Amino acid sequence: MAAYAFRRLLLALATWWLAGTLAFALLLLLPGDPVQAILGLEASPEARAALERSLGLDRPPLERYGLWLSGLLRLDLGESIRYGRPVRALAAERLPLTLALVLLGLGGALLLALPLALLAVRSQTLDLALSGFMGLLQSLPTFFLGVVLLYALAVHLPLLPAGGFPGWEDPGEAFRHLLLPGLTLALARAAILFRMARGSLLEVLSQDYIRTARAKGVPEGWVLLKHALRPASLPLVTVLGLEGGFLLTGAVVVEAVFALPGLGSLALTALEARDYPLLQGLVLVLAGLIVLFNLAVDLLYGLLDPRVEYA
Amino acid sequence: MRHWIGFVWLLGLALAQTRGGELKVAVLAEPPVLDPTASTSQEIARMLYDNVLQGLVKFNEKGEIVPALAERWQGSPSSLTWTFYLRKGVRFHNGSPFTAEDVLFKFQRAKDPRSGHTHPEYYRDIAAVEAKDPYTVVFRLRQPDQDFLFNLARPDSVIGPKGRVEEQKTQPIGTGPFRFAAWERGVGVRLERFDGYYEPGLPYLDRVFFRFLPDQNAQLAALRAGDIQVIGLGVSPENALVLQKDPNFKVVSGFTTTEITAGMNNSRPPFNDLRVRRAIQHAVDKKALVEGVMLGYGTPIGSHRSPGERCYVDLSGLYPYDPAKAKALLQEAGYGPGNPLRFTFTLAAPYPYERRLGEAIAAQLAQIGVQARLEVVEWATWLSRVFRGADYQMTIIGHSEPHDIGIYANPGYYFRYDSPRFRELYARYLRTPDPDKACELMKEMQRLLAQDAVNLWVMNAPYLAAMRKEVMGWWPNQPTPSLNVTRVYLAR
Repeated sequence: MAAYAFRRLLLALATWWLAGTLAFALLLLLPGDPVQAILGLEASPEARAALERSLGLDRPPLERYGLWLSGLLRLDLGESIRYGRPVRALAAERLPLTLALVLLGLGGALLLALPLALLAVRSQTLDLALSGFMGLLQSLPTFFLGVVLLYALAVHLPLLPAGGFPGWEDPGEAFRHLLLPGLTLALARAAILFRMARGSLLEVLSQDYIRTARAKGVPEGWVLLKHALRPASLPLVTVLGLEGGFLLTGAVVVEAVFALPGLGSLALTALEARDYPLLQGLVLVLAGLIVLFNLAVDLLYGLLDPRVEYA
Repeated sequence: MRHWIGFVWLLGLALAQTRGGELKVAVLAEPPVLDPTASTSQEIARMLYDNVLQGLVKFNEKGEIVPALAERWQGSPSSLTWTFYLRKGVRFHNGSPFTAEDVLFKFQRAKDPRSGHTHPEYYRDIAAVEAKDPYTVVFRLRQPDQDFLFNLARPDSVIGPKGRVEEQKTQPIGTGPFRFAAWERGVGVRLERFDGYYEPGLPYLDRVFFRFLPDQNAQLAALRAGDIQVIGLGVSPENALVLQKDPNFKVVSGFTTTEITAGMNNSRPPFNDLRVRRAIQHAVDKKALVEGVMLGYGTPIGSHRSPGERCYVDLSGLYPYDPAKAKALLQEAGYGPGNPLRFTFTLAAPYPYERRLGEAIAAQLAQIGVQARLEVVEWATWLSRVFRGADYQMTIIGHSEPHDIGIYANPGYYFRYDSPRFRELYARYLRTPDPDKACELMKEMQRLLAQDAVNLWVMNAPYLAAMRKEVMGWWPNQPTPSLNVTRVYLAR
């Protein structure tokens, strides 16, 4: 187990480094530059040259890459061009909101998907209706779903705030502001989880030991909860690992729709401003989160199913 | 005596109705810094110009140049010497007094191309700035500059406390009616009433919060949900129509300094041929574009100047919509049914209205057999390829800078318009001290551009803002990018 975990960790680190390096290379290919974004259209060549020098953009790409890597080893992600502040501090400021959003989305999706899947495998009519509804949800783009929910719950029935974030000083208020975006994410992801859970529940229910349990006279609800749910949740955990990544990208869209100051909207701003250090740093943070998520899922897998061997 | 008491009572009542409260305004984007002398991002000026930061003179809501930190000023008959008499008793938001020293510091820095100031070229003609006493400043110019005062009213010319440069980027200190309170990164900028403002009674509001809301749907939802009271700019024509019908809201529709311009590369076929450029003018129905694409918001124009700007001539009728004439001109230039005019029309992805206008123009041109191939490119690509490299045939973009006709005097500008006659007119305009004579030259420049059919000037972009009906005193037009809240109040 320890050797396996160590190997997985090394692999995760390699993936992480590759993601960062790819981001670095792709940014070089992107047209446009931060100097133009700051100085505007009519900047004189002298002003451009001076700013490029002060930002270190006049150095050759390989040298910049080397500087960036050596900074990374010291856990220094550099300084944002747009904000003039350390990337690490900016990311740390925004991280809690995005994590809270992803956790709300994930938790909400599970809370919606599992009970509905359990209902669906028990009744044919409900199954048809729920499957149809979930299919619809899955095909809706996140931003559309967000706007629809925004209008329904914030404008027409003013139950929840329409967007923005008041900060963490008042956790209740913060939660209220995250509820609608979290629900948007949860609904979008619940559809996939529902289908997975339903499928694997149906498969597990056709197994011999379920028939045995039923034959022994165990009540149906108990069969589902005790004997079917745990084995059926295995593929669910795998999907959850993948969903973690999707949720992070979904969070970018949701943050834009609800004007939330999270990592996603920061990354969008950084992209528009061609703020290379900030963008690179954020890619690293986001990639790190996804890698961590997958690592956690791999390890969790073994805990849930003793049959999985660490080879 | 009783009358007097009654008057005071009424006055107090009126003030109680208008004073106080917080206004929340949506803006489209977050600026990189908060100092308009450090970045040309127009978002900075929109939030801070005249609200927080002021110069010697400023633009009012009609675009006129009016006193700000200078009480009055005087140009010598040669217009080589300008004397500014500073307002006395003005304090910066940090409490330090405003004097000639601050003015000297500002313009020494502004003139220096190495200082990182946004537009040192605005101040190139300034030979010296001197203080005669703490409240009198004299500018000596190398040569007359018709735009001198205009440049002093720009957001680039705002004056901060002497010696403060770096701090101004994140903690701007000025002399305006509001002082900067906080910049919540990614969320918004907060302003608070400055109690020491030199104009008594102003401002009316206690607090202003400019919230960054990039998405138009999110803006509309926030306005309707009551999270904000004003969408400061960029309301789409569709949303404007919807909000106009709702009695809780009102829509402000006015002029801007943005000329939406279908630029033609004058140095390349097919648009190096005057007949082709003129044919394009006749082939496009600008009124239909305003009605169809902008739902009636916007004003057709015929040259590179906006109706709200000084010395404007309306040339929108110079080339009436006439497809037959357009066809004839094209035939003269060698294009016809056998050999249709073909070119690539490059549209910039992030500008939805320019893109839609471009598509509509292409459709109108198709009616006389012109084949415009539409190509949508990302903004950064547009900047490097079209704007900097002039590697294009036709494109469309809004030119939002006020008073920017001078770009046609630069043959390297992306239109590649190379006219010695225009350059001579522009130089004469700049060196003419008499404003009336200069105005004549400004008009002549507009006519020359229209005759040369350099570009297809489609329309003056509308200024569309929306707000709750109790918001009063909002600027109806944008003669300069500014969401000026000095005299805004909430009716109760």
